[in-house]
Amino acid sequence: MSEQPFEELAMPLFASLYGYARWLTREPHEAEDLVQETYLKALRGFDSFRQGTNFRAWMFRILRNTFLTSRAGLKETAEVDEEIEDGSTPETQFMNRASGEALRRAIENLPLIFREVLLLSDVENMSYKEISEALSIPIGTVTSRLMRARQRVRKALEDIR
Amino acid sequence: MTHLDRETVQRYADGELADAQGAEAHLRECASCANQVVGEMQLKRAVRDAARTAPPDVVRMRVQRRISSTAGRSLLPAAAAAVIAFIIGGLFAAGSIASRWSTRELADLHATILASASPVDVLSSDRHTVKPWFEGKIPFSFPIPELNGTPFRVIGGRVVYAHQQPAAYVMIGKGNHRLSLFVSRVTLPLRGMDGYDAITWRSGGLCYVLVGDVPRADLEALRQLF
Repeated sequence: MSEQPFEELAMPLFASLYGYARWLTREPHEAEDLVQETYLKALRGFDSFRQGTNFRAWMFRILRNTFLTSRAGLKETAEVDEEIEDGSTPETQFMNRASGEALRRAIENLPLIFREVLLLSDVENMSYKEISEALSIPIGTVTSRLMRARQRVRKALEDIR
Repeated sequence: MTHLDRETVQRYADGELADAQGAEAHLRECASCANQVVGEMQLKRAVRDAARTAPPDVVRMRVQRRISSTAGRSLLPAAAAAVIAFIIGGLFAAGSIASRWSTRELADLHATILASASPVDVLSSDRHTVKPWFEGKIPFSFPIPELNGTPFRVIGGRVVYAHQQPAAYVMIGKGNHRLSLFVSRVTLPLRGMDGYDAITWRSGGLCYVLVGDVPRADLEALRQLF
């Protein structure tokens, strides 16, 4: 296994980490601070990263933990009902009519635990396994939260129709 | 045949079904379940498109500078680094992403392009659109095979710099996977590919490199079409 320097591994992830930070903080300045802090923490902790394991999940985990302990993050950790509701199954066509703006608002309004799985899956294209590593939750929880996240987004879009 | 349950629809759309054959057999027969899978995929795509954010270059530069100086590897005085950052920022703004990547390995390029907000500059599933787009942008021309009727599809292209040379980059899709094809006049070495499979070949005086996280047999199958 080649020992790659931190910068070479970490900088290609910049756009992804920044985008994720934007959606967690919902605010450009806080996103910048969060990404910066994430990179500095990761650099300091790079010795503890085992080369060959999933670096991307490791970086996302640092970003998320940093966010959760920030002032904005602490407000997000309210209890959320994780039950899967009936109704609102996927259907075709209506997505075409939903505007990007409405969709962005629906994502923004998701509780953190649903917003993060949705973004990691659909924007970052992470596998369930990788998401479970990044968020330190079981794969079964990834699956159910993702279902719940999409249900909520669909519901929000239906409501404004 | 029983319908797919909601979790199966979701896992299928997410590419997470370990054994998809049973589901696919059912989907061929059942319009209602197929409709749900398409709905799930549409939502995924819509979320991706709506949620994409491009980081401001200046923020990237600031973070890059912080970690370079913290790592103690930056030998440049801050002022010179700022000038260089400014120049690189300008290149970015001008759309010439180019030189920044000149020393990067292809695997990095592949990962970076896939992760970027606008991975390709010409977006088309039609090889007759993508191929002429490269004319005048790179100093050679190369064939893009007909992919209709194969599991592969063209997604788009852009110009990249690999090993100080302009190279054509073609993004090719297979299912949920995206593969990177680099074409260059110079030999592109396959170093530092960990995590990705890659194959390379030469044809018509050009070097082709195909990178992706699909089984090697798929890469070989695509190569056969060239």
